[in-house]
Amino acid sequence: MTAAPAPAPAPPLPSTADVIARPPRLLDPGTCLTLRPMAYPDFYAQYRQAIRNTWTVEEVDFSTDLRDLAERMGPAERHLIQRLVAFFATGDSIVANNLVLSLYRHLNAPEARMYLSRQLYEEALHVQFYLTLLDTYVPDPDQRHAAFAAVETIPSIRRKAEFCLRWQDTVAAIPRLDGPAHRRQFLLNLICFAACTEGLFFYGAFAYVYFLRSRGLLHGLAAGTNWVFRDESAHMAFAFSVIDVVRDQEPELFDAELEAAVVEMIEEAVACEVAFAEDLLGLGVAGLTVADLRAYLEYCADQRLQRLGMATRYGSTNPLSFMELQDIPELANFFERRVSAYQHGVSGTIDLDADF
Amino acid sequence: MTVTATIPLTPASSSPEPSPLWAEVQADARAEGWTAGLDGVELERLFAQTRERAPADADRETLDELLARTAVGWIVEEPDYSKLAARILAGAIAREAASQGVTSFLNSVETLHRLGLGNARALNFARAHAATLEAALDREGDRRFEYFGLRTVFDRYLMRHPKTRRVLETPQHFFMRVAAALAVDPDEAVALYGLFSRLDYLPSSPTLFNAGTHREQLSSCFLLDSPADHLVDIYERYTDVAKLSKFSGGIGLAYHRVRSRGSLIGDTNGHSNGIVPWLKTLDASVAAVNQGGRRKGACCVYLETWHADLPEFLELRDNTGNEYARAHNLNLANWIPDEFMRRVAADEGWSLFDPKTVRHFPDLYGEAFTRAYVEAERAGLAVATLPARELYARMMRTLAQTGNGWMCFKDRCNSTCNQTARPGRTVHLSNLCTEIVEVTSPEETAVCNLGSINLGHHLRPIDGGGTQADWEVDWAKLGRSVTLAVRALDRVIDLNFYPLETAAKSNARWRPVGLGTMGLHDLLLRLGLDFDSPAARELARRVAEHVYFHALRTSCDLARQHGPHPAFPETRAADGQLQFDLWGVEPGEDLPWDTLRRDVASHGLRNSLLVAVAPTATIASIAGCYECIEPAVSNLVKRETLSGEFIQVNRYLIDELRRLGLWDEAMRAALKRDNGSVQGIARVPEALRRRFRTAWELPMRALIDMAAARGPFIDQSQSLNLFVESPDLTRLSAMYFYAWKAGLKTTYYLRSRPASGIAKATVDPANAKPKQRSAEALACSLENPEACEACQ
Repeated sequence: MTAAPAPAPAPPLPSTADVIARPPRLLDPGTCLTLRPMAYPDFYAQYRQAIRNTWTVEEVDFSTDLRDLAERMGPAERHLIQRLVAFFATGDSIVANNLVLSLYRHLNAPEARMYLSRQLYEEALHVQFYLTLLDTYVPDPDQRHAAFAAVETIPSIRRKAEFCLRWQDTVAAIPRLDGPAHRRQFLLNLICFAACTEGLFFYGAFAYVYFLRSRGLLHGLAAGTNWVFRDESAHMAFAFSVIDVVRDQEPELFDAELEAAVVEMIEEAVACEVAFAEDLLGLGVAGLTVADLRAYLEYCADQRLQRLGMATRYGSTNPLSFMELQDIPELANFFERRVSAYQHGVSGTIDLDADF
Repeated sequence: MTVTATIPLTPASSSPEPSPLWAEVQADARAEGWTAGLDGVELERLFAQTRERAPADADRETLDELLARTAVGWIVEEPDYSKLAARILAGAIAREAASQGVTSFLNSVETLHRLGLGNARALNFARAHAATLEAALDREGDRRFEYFGLRTVFDRYLMRHPKTRRVLETPQHFFMRVAAALAVDPDEAVALYGLFSRLDYLPSSPTLFNAGTHREQLSSCFLLDSPADHLVDIYERYTDVAKLSKFSGGIGLAYHRVRSRGSLIGDTNGHSNGIVPWLKTLDASVAAVNQGGRRKGACCVYLETWHADLPEFLELRDNTGNEYARAHNLNLANWIPDEFMRRVAADEGWSLFDPKTVRHFPDLYGEAFTRAYVEAERAGLAVATLPARELYARMMRTLAQTGNGWMCFKDRCNSTCNQTARPGRTVHLSNLCTEIVEVTSPEETAVCNLGSINLGHHLRPIDGGGTQADWEVDWAKLGRSVTLAVRALDRVIDLNFYPLETAAKSNARWRPVGLGTMGLHDLLLRLGLDFDSPAARELARRVAEHVYFHALRTSCDLARQHGPHPAFPETRAADGQLQFDLWGVEPGEDLPWDTLRRDVASHGLRNSLLVAVAPTATIASIAGCYECIEPAVSNLVKRETLSGEFIQVNRYLIDELRRLGLWDEAMRAALKRDNGSVQGIARVPEALRRRFRTAWELPMRALIDMAAARGPFIDQSQSLNLFVESPDLTRLSAMYFYAWKAGLKTTYYLRSRPASGIAKATVDPANAKPKQRSAEALACSLENPEACEACQ
């Protein structure tokens, strides 16, 4: 056994005060491990909040969905559902991939990476949910295969996937965010997945589910989607809070060019999603038109732009009154459905005389 | 390039020729007076919007549906659209019934009978009194519904053709069917129909579903004793539960007698896996039984606090952990002896036992139980001992995480129960909604049929009144409603089809009924009272006293006519003790209690129990009022049911804001942004902010105090939900301890809120940020205006 080579004389170790004095910026390359003092308590709070929203696919009850599909829905609505399920089959996997390939690599703060780890779990949960949904709705194995192939074979779905993958590829080629060009590229990736994939594609898809739910259809799909929607809303909020931090740290990144690229990206995303709407609603679904969907998507797009601190692009108002329902707290009739409002994590100690 | 220009219009929206059906729709709108009295609605706008979204080949039914749905979408803007949508739906229902040949009440009953849905008694009654009953139908009846109520009736209550699924009755025929089935003569039928049609009183869902049908199971609640501690009995209970579920009953099931994990099984020399695997099987069985296609089965399992499997039991609803030990469809309740609460208070130890070694425990309560418990501890029979507070903390955690694990107090339930006057009678559990408290045994399954008075409909203007301050409770009307209701509830006992022999046997002996109330918050808001004010508490107490008095009065009159219920001599009432006597409370001065006592002493009572405040989830929706005794959970709420989603707004709030000229777009946006709370909206005057606090914003102490004030006049119990936005052990431990000390028999769900919500899809993000006052800040500003350190 040979002895290990004698270590080179080490440079003097930095003191704790030195380390605290030089925290990396969020997009500086590295694997920062410091949680005390915590640089981004807000990210940590979002992580903990997410944990309190834990749910499981087993809690979703699909028992009435099949009857709705068979007895209460016509060909136009069944076509809509078929396409929607095909989109859901692969949508969350694409987001999960980007988390690993882009966000986790480049957001250099352990508390941000904690959040992303949690988000990664949630994306897997969503994939599981939509897989279970697919297996429940589509008994025929060949059709199940077709649903997963849709990302390549159905033009309206393929176009959305290609859009996402294009923005993913541009970052996948960058190992380290050295310099403003790389960082802007990263920001565009982040904005693409938050504002477009989650903020438009998923929001668009949720609108169809909620449209059906407002008519009392597909409770299982709606119940699970409600939880997915809650998760996705949180993911989007996290991404935007990351952007707020970066803007704070490196305001120079946010120039007119970046802004123009964002607008162009969002326009393309809206166009993709409107084309998807034309496909879904192609057979004429009573009570929902492509024009409605387009206005709704434009309205969502404006909201994303506003959240990014940019000028709105469309000036559309939301015509989908059933989406208003999603903004209002639910009062579930417990005989009929499990209340989806519960939380996790209970703290405190017994104190019989405490104020309550 | 704008994206808009590249998108072709869909065939549906580009249809150039409006369907000829639109002329018909417009004619009906005029003929049926869709907008009469609804000042705020714009019919032309509704037509225009709907035309755009209707496929070219839409039939009349599709158009009606779209019109109603579109109108419903505007309820937040203008609540009158709810009534408009209801009128559109009412017309559509009448057309659908007519398409099945149903144009009169007799038509409807004959059709139901021909198809094998209605029973012969209903048919004969309808034929014998056809003219009287038809003349009594109220043409204005359907106009009293809000959309949500009528939609619920249409989707789930109206009888339908077995094949075509078309309705075979209109809402007024439906009310008349139920009234005629419950009445002894046409006069009573007409009177009862009037109560239903005016939405003054509604019986519970099983009665509405099944009255007058070939299988008249009309009772809401069944309480099954614990299976005995062996295999055959455990499996027989599954069958019992399935049979009861099938006909719309909600089930309470005790499990105290079944041995716990690790107990030796004599026949096989193996060890038991405890109750969890049995409950897992029950879970699957409950989910499989579909209540006539109307709703899923529902069951609550009760477990006594000394049972050694309690810690596992408390985890049955967790959504993490071992799926094989989870039962997501079951509700769970704790059946807690006072000794446990005393040890929690004293911070002492608590012992857990295997029922196999303490078979006498479930049938004991009060001092006798405590003695037996201490003896068993001394005899070293305990399986485990742990600090009582540790177990109490687990109970609180289950409540916080699942809303389940309801806290019900065994000794209080027994010591104040009219049925437990003689030894050997024990209340072993409450029911699915914790408002029924009745004795059970292996031979007796307790049953209760329910109905609720709509309190907001029992007001009258003070002379020359008109504004809200000039209303008062119409006590005489309340008395009349109670009398009619109790007679109808009592009649159910004789008509009812009992799925189990043990239920038939028990109900014949005890004849219990459960009359409750709903719309208490409507009543308080119409009188301008804050929910937590002393005046509100006193009014709630008085209402309960009047209901109890008139219920007893009616039951006593029925006893004079038909004789007391067979077990009357074995009741506390026979010993001269009424519910408030058992609470040690004096009644108020409004009512001639002494006369009533004398009459009860001479004639007895037809019913051993009379009053129970049920949650009224569905019937309050039909009546368009707030649920039972509960404060509004929000001023803007989404209701999700099998019929889809609907918004409900607090009309009383809107009326107040309109009066002040404050009900505008900005106010609506603010109300949405704040999830239906007005506490953060500075434009709303202070007094209104106080009055329109939601269940989340009121002090829970006030809810418990109000329930305790009402308690001496409720001989069964109340479904009391408690609301804590972000529950923690400290608050919960104090709250439930207070509830026990206040003498409550039972509590129901702990309601909490989602940890985070969905991003507002329709709220401007610029407005979406500045809110979210923490629950603590809210509680502090509302409950302790003077004592808050944070605000000084």
